[in-house]
Amino acid sequence: MKNVRLLFLFLAVISTLVLSGSRELTAQERISNITYEIKVKLDDKNKMLYGKEDITWYNRTNDEVQDMWFHLYYNAFKNEKSTMIEESKSDIMRGIRVKEGKWGWIDVLRIELADGRDLKPTMEFITRDKPEHPGDETVMRVCFPEAIKPGEEVYIQLEFQSKIPRTIARSGYYQDSYFIAQWFPKPGVYEEGKGWNCHEYHSSSEFYADFADFIVDITVPEDFVIGASGKQINAAPNETEKTVTYTYQENNIHDFAWTADPYFIKVERDFIADKEVSQKEYEEVAGILQLPFEDVKLNDVKMILLIEPQHKGQIDRHFNALKAAIKYYGIWYGPYPYETVTMVDPPFRTRSGGMEYPTLFTAGTSILTSKDVLSPEGVIIHEFGHGYWYGMCANNEFEEAWLDEGINTYSTGKTVAWAYGPGTLPMAFNGIPLSWFLKLPIYYDYELDRAAAINVVELDPITTYSWHFINGASYGGNVYMRASTCLNTLERLVGQDMMFRILRTFQMRFRYKHPHTKDFIDVVNEVTERDLTWFFKELFFDTLDFDYGVSSLTSKKMKKYVRGVFETNGNKEEYTKQKIYELEEKNKAPEQKNVYITKVKTRRFGEAKVKGDVALKLKIIFDNDSEEICYWNGQERWKEFTFEKPAKAKYAQIDPDNIWLIDSNIVNNSIKRKPSRIGIWKLTSKLLFWTQNCFQMISGLS
Amino acid sequence: MGIFKLFKLGVQTANKKARMLIYLWLTNILFSLIVVSPVYFLLQKDFSKSLLGDQIGEGMNLIWFGDIIFKYRDFYPSLIGVFIIPAVLFFLLYIYLNGGIIGRIAAQDVKVTLSNFFSDCGKYFFRFFRIFLISLIGYFVLFGVVMKLISALFTLWTKNASTGWPQIFSSNLKLLITVLLFSIVRMFFDYVRVRLVIEDSKKTIKATLTNFSFLGKRFFKVWLLYLLVGVVVVIFSVVYIGINQILPKAGLFFIIVFIWQQLYILSKIWTKMLFFSTEYHYAKKSITN
Repeated sequence: MKNVRLLFLFLAVISTLVLSGSRELTAQERISNITYEIKVKLDDKNKMLYGKEDITWYNRTNDEVQDMWFHLYYNAFKNEKSTMIEESKSDIMRGIRVKEGKWGWIDVLRIELADGRDLKPTMEFITRDKPEHPGDETVMRVCFPEAIKPGEEVYIQLEFQSKIPRTIARSGYYQDSYFIAQWFPKPGVYEEGKGWNCHEYHSSSEFYADFADFIVDITVPEDFVIGASGKQINAAPNETEKTVTYTYQENNIHDFAWTADPYFIKVERDFIADKEVSQKEYEEVAGILQLPFEDVKLNDVKMILLIEPQHKGQIDRHFNALKAAIKYYGIWYGPYPYETVTMVDPPFRTRSGGMEYPTLFTAGTSILTSKDVLSPEGVIIHEFGHGYWYGMCANNEFEEAWLDEGINTYSTGKTVAWAYGPGTLPMAFNGIPLSWFLKLPIYYDYELDRAAAINVVELDPITTYSWHFINGASYGGNVYMRASTCLNTLERLVGQDMMFRILRTFQMRFRYKHPHTKDFIDVVNEVTERDLTWFFKELFFDTLDFDYGVSSLTSKKMKKYVRGVFETNGNKEEYTKQKIYELEEKNKAPEQKNVYITKVKTRRFGEAKVKGDVALKLKIIFDNDSEEICYWNGQERWKEFTFEKPAKAKYAQIDPDNIWLIDSNIVNNSIKRKPSRIGIWKLTSKLLFWTQNCFQMISGLS
Repeated sequence: MGIFKLFKLGVQTANKKARMLIYLWLTNILFSLIVVSPVYFLLQKDFSKSLLGDQIGEGMNLIWFGDIIFKYRDFYPSLIGVFIIPAVLFFLLYIYLNGGIIGRIAAQDVKVTLSNFFSDCGKYFFRFFRIFLISLIGYFVLFGVVMKLISALFTLWTKNASTGWPQIFSSNLKLLITVLLFSIVRMFFDYVRVRLVIEDSKKTIKATLTNFSFLGKRFFKVWLLYLLVGVVVVIFSVVYIGINQILPKAGLFFIIVFIWQQLYILSKIWTKMLFFSTEYHYAKKSITN
């Protein structure tokens, strides 16, 4: 085992030397500023983890660093004083109830420097996030005897033991199935001039950590099938203990998760780029992105699937969705750079589905599925997509969660639409898909996102800190759906090709970095060569409702004569109704066409405004099928447009191209001169029928 | 007499009472219109002049559905009230109408008229209302005791499951058991009502108690007959769904869909009459013998 490790390290050094032009990369040049060597053993009987961890942290900043802060996230599951559980109590959507004996925790047994100096006496728990939860133990701080100077490395050795919880927040066990995430002591991110960015484990939040190189030994009972972040480089059985130690390795990732289950079926397939993407597709994308052909070429990837036996029939569905994700994310946003991706069908009742970790993600499906419902496809594409938005473009999910969730929700919708088209609403009864029996509505993700988004606009700005949202629904609605809807709006505003260029630039520029919202805005402005900062101020940083509409439309025959008193040759003459009629009859030319004055009043019902070089398009269609197009800068509360045409208006519509998807009231975007009720009759007749059925059912109880 | 013969007799009797079917359908649609009217006027106000108004009849689309959810978010409590109040009234009304339905079924060869129908409604209302109150005990025993015990047994089965299959089997099996047990309780009180009419008795408690021995002696035959009528409901529903899927819905074709929907409602009301008429014939034969 040890020899294998040495051989691997040797090969890693050699390959690094080759890649860097025959010299070893310095710590400053490497992407990662941390290395982890972890050895962990799973005690299946007692649901415990026993671990040893060696950390090398390189101070890449110009600060002298006096201390180190660690995430100890298993302590979020320790008791009802943890920030996560306290926060969840006040949120009906995320209430966490832990059964007796099912808590989880982590104890750091030993922590010392390479020279043996003990750091444990300086160990303390830190609770800095507001509002404060003083009983929380998810952030630990230790102080160094001497500050770590800029450019210096510190080598820390740790020993820990953890009680695995019955799954909470997607980490834990059910029976002998495990999903192990947020399990090892992990330093926060040291930010120059600011100190450690190391938040407590919050109920409504995900994570933030620095890029690192991992080598992890996982020892499990011999009958377990396991999967983990990175690639497996060794498996060493121990006949005496009836265990196997698996070694996984990966560089340039910021977290490490693993799963173990005796029932998993492990399937491996290859994503062969040249087979999945045609020359023509590469050329098209290179054209759209304005990049050399070679830059858009994808790498081959080993796809690993761990699937539960009861879902065996869905193996192809899982791989097809993953291939679509690797292909579209790859050609649009940049090639997937890692050799492997592991897709985990979460073990039964571990409630660990739908979550991303670097190079590993959990999907989630049901036993009974329908081919029309895009599940598990949607979740596979979304969670793989997080490998880009969170995995590589690694924003701080505590502080700016929209940067990964919003962009990835938007990207998921695009990929699903390109690869599959619209899906059927996922409705099931007692585990049986209703689409087996009924024709259910179909939808695109952006429609569903918008339906949720408009309901949360007034609750919080998208850019709110994750744990400061009013509740879980606002967090989810804003960070995922509203952000995605705004990005769809941006795409419609700047064009799809431009949007691809924006996201490609953002991904590649901030790959292996920690971007902020400002960085995204800067990229948008740079790529579009426009100042769209206002777009974000109005729609991301505030709670302003976006609602432009048309409030009235009239078309009246233009009158040559009007009633009243007029001066004619110095005399006052009254034009009465009768006189006007007579004049009109007298002056009526043969085949004279009527002229109509059409007045359209547009209104800004919401507080949000369009700004910059953007104006709202107004289209008016007339009875003779002619049309008028005009633009309104949308600054005032209302504006009236007047037209003289030989026909009456049929309807007026603001934003006829549906650019402003975030508009909360699309009903008022158009107004017809003559109302029509057929659609309303149809919908009401359906409602009537449902009500009749309900009443008939009620009669059965009497 | 075999259950198929009884079933046939029941069908003949229900078919003879077509006028009653119309009365009951009118009641159903009138109450439903009370619930739906406010929604119609709301939609008319906001959607009739919008281009989106043309889309709302063409199947669900999350753009207009999202707008409706957002636009009327403050109306939901009142809309729930608009549904609940007529629903409670409809429930009470049906206690009243059940008297007319069974009364007219019992008057085998007499033509149904408004006056004799409502006369029966009035005649049996208080007796049936008492039966309803007594039936609450039956439903409490079913849902408050029996189903809780059954749920506990199912939980024992599924709580340590290692796959999703036991969950799917148990939830569907539980549903089936619930439906079957519910059908027994419902059938029991149907027979109490039918026997009150046949015997023209006002003694509801006595009728309820004697019904135990009446049904106890012939439970499976009675239940099979009841379930046979239940199968008719299922067949009608399957036919309705199947044809509804293929009916054209664009433009004015919705009128055909609407007529088809009303035929389905009529079929449901007819099967309600069929339940009572088969029960009537069975009870009548048993009492006579």
